[in-house]
Amino acid sequence: MVQLVGSLRKELADSLSSCRVLVVGAGGIGCELLKNLVLTGFKNIEVIDLDTIDVSNLNRQFLFQKKHVGKSKAQVAKESALQFCPTANITAYHDSIMNPDYNVEFFRNFMLVMNALDNRAARNHVNRMCLAADIPLIESGTAGYLGQVTVIKKGLTECYECQPKPSQKTFPGCTIRNTPSEPIHCIVWAKYLFNQLFGEEDADQEVSPDTADPEAAWNPEEAAARATASEKDGDIKRVSTKEWARSTGYDSIKLFNKLFKDDIMYLLTMDKLWKKRKAPLPLDWQQLENHALFNEDSPGSGLKDQQVLGIWGYCKLFQHSVETLRSQLEQKGDGAELVWDKDDPPAMDFVTAAANLRMHIFSMNMKSRFDIKSMAGNIIPAIATTNAVIAGLIVLEGLKILSGELESCRSVSSSTANYPEVISLVTYEEPYDELEECQRSPDYFFCTVFDTFP
Amino acid sequence: MIDMIEKEEPIISEEEAAQYDRQIRLWGLDAQKRLRGSRVLLVGLGGLGAEVAKNLILAGVKGLTLLDHEQVTEESCRAQFLVPVTARGQNRAQASLERAQYLNPMVEVRAYPDRPEDKPDDFFLQFDAVCLTGCSRDLMVRVDQLCSQRNIKVFCGDVYGYYGYMFSDLGKEHHYALRIFCSLKEALEVDWTSEKAKASLKRTPVDYFLLHVLLKFRTDKGRDPDPQSFAEDSQLLRQIRDDVLESLAVSGDLLSDDFVSYCFSEMSPVCAVVGGVLGQEVVKALSQRDAPHRNFFFFDGRKGNGVVDYFGPN
Repeated sequence: MVQLVGSLRKELADSLSSCRVLVVGAGGIGCELLKNLVLTGFKNIEVIDLDTIDVSNLNRQFLFQKKHVGKSKAQVAKESALQFCPTANITAYHDSIMNPDYNVEFFRNFMLVMNALDNRAARNHVNRMCLAADIPLIESGTAGYLGQVTVIKKGLTECYECQPKPSQKTFPGCTIRNTPSEPIHCIVWAKYLFNQLFGEEDADQEVSPDTADPEAAWNPEEAAARATASEKDGDIKRVSTKEWARSTGYDSIKLFNKLFKDDIMYLLTMDKLWKKRKAPLPLDWQQLENHALFNEDSPGSGLKDQQVLGIWGYCKLFQHSVETLRSQLEQKGDGAELVWDKDDPPAMDFVTAAANLRMHIFSMNMKSRFDIKSMAGNIIPAIATTNAVIAGLIVLEGLKILSGELESCRSVSSSTANYPEVISLVTYEEPYDELEECQRSPDYFFCTVFDTFP
Repeated sequence: MIDMIEKEEPIISEEEAAQYDRQIRLWGLDAQKRLRGSRVLLVGLGGLGAEVAKNLILAGVKGLTLLDHEQVTEESCRAQFLVPVTARGQNRAQASLERAQYLNPMVEVRAYPDRPEDKPDDFFLQFDAVCLTGCSRDLMVRVDQLCSQRNIKVFCGDVYGYYGYMFSDLGKEHHYALRIFCSLKEALEVDWTSEKAKASLKRTPVDYFLLHVLLKFRTDKGRDPDPQSFAEDSQLLRQIRDDVLESLAVSGDLLSDDFVSYCFSEMSPVCAVVGGVLGQEVVKALSQRDAPHRNFFFFDGRKGNGVVDYFGPN
């Protein structure tokens, strides 16, 4: 005789109340997942997240309110869940899952691990730990309206790292330094510039004109000469951008003229580059200031951040942000470095201004702070409903696992790719472009790569 | 859309811009403004209702009115996350109000304890969209008829155990002009004896017929299948299944006995999935962005797949 506890068979309900599960991440997917787990009847849940709550989380991470901004996500998620399910046994860790304390033994405590992450490094790590501990892992991801859930079990399915994932897009140095053609090139340049001036200097993040650019040479001999010259010149040119800036006391106008006038004029001397391309137009601070009286920025309707200012507006923004960042640096003391953060207003202002000035120089339409923030900050748009759907699917897969029905687990995706099936069992072969973090094959095959992982 | 022109253009404050940032980046500022000017009625605060409430409040509508005559029971506390465990015996809408409001103080949330059947027509006409969960077939048909004439978007949805559905009627003049919607009455009264209908039976999700069975159970018993009365309710479900399939003139084989033990109570993850899809459909309709699902969405929590399908006069 079938006995039910709510919707579930009694045997299943009983096993839910005794098993221990781990949720990695208490953000968009994590909040929804925690809620589903306690309401479904899971009693022993551990949740870990290194992050604190930000106001931009509140449109979807519903366990958090405005008053919680700045606090630990894992901790507040636990407290909120206990409000509607006081009998649940929840342990919260404000920590990184990559901390060595969470070793294979730690993972072996759980019957099931569920990822609710937003970065590849952590996903790779948890993947390996679950393989080593031989614990089923439910991997998931969302971006905008799309989402996906996949079960990973050693010996039964491929693991997260079996298929190569598309890596973050990078651009050739000369494109960034000499011949940008798209706004993103200018934005990357501006972020490099931030690091060169205020942060950790990186040899791969040069911003000055690249004399060794192979495209600049008219013939192979010249290319060779340029390459050696660029190295030899070292003694004179090797004053780093930071040192140069320091020597001027981070004078914003001197900085402006070097980056947006002198360096551009230097680029113009590499005339082969401009044979087939529109040549860049150097800016002059004084000229722009004089013109400014005729070019007032008119306030439009809509968000302040979505306005696109005139060129003088970005000159002023550049000046202002340099001055603010300079004093931030001074306050931190000798040898201090700033780390770029999209949510730090002067850092974001600086990149907005510098990128736009460069776009203007290279005849590209300038962009709003809102748009630049998306690109510079790699912001993935996110809403509550997609996360709700995916978190629901995660629990349903989890129930199959706990019922011993692992073989019936499938990769499930939420998209319109297979319309009219809008939640479908994955059957496609192609990589899922929109979700950088997840790439799946429908085939199940044995994964032996990590058999010997310690 | 005359209604929209008469309304004052909503302004998105800097505070809202900061909170809604990640969704403005997805659907744009205009869509957010339209949401900001919309008033929605939500009937039923069970598991599915709570999910829809959450999704709409987080999306940033102008106002959400909660209507539910039911009382909080032990089952309600298990089913949804807005009702405090101490609220047993209280009205479900009113008990959900505080937590619902906390989700987003910028939305006007109201709660009423009345039976939707007792509400006059006028009540429903003050909204831009109405969303009916846990309602009888007759009520849904009545409200749909009343509202869609006035260009008010109508949505219905329920979760029965592992199964769930949503239905939408966006009227004849919806912004997405290519899509025509029919009434719920027409959608449920498809004639399966016609040659065309018989031919399409193979491609028809069985969930459609399951829906008929569960709506009939609700009408006959005044409640949904209850785990406490598993034996009798299972028997009744099988009987109703036989009757319904016969009256629709389709084969009794369409719906095997299997479904019976999986349609009790409201499963939380299924509420989350259906509530997510339904919530997003409401957002799409109010913001006038992106193609709406037409006109049913069925989710099978045992299999894990969800399909959109159209039922109506061909």
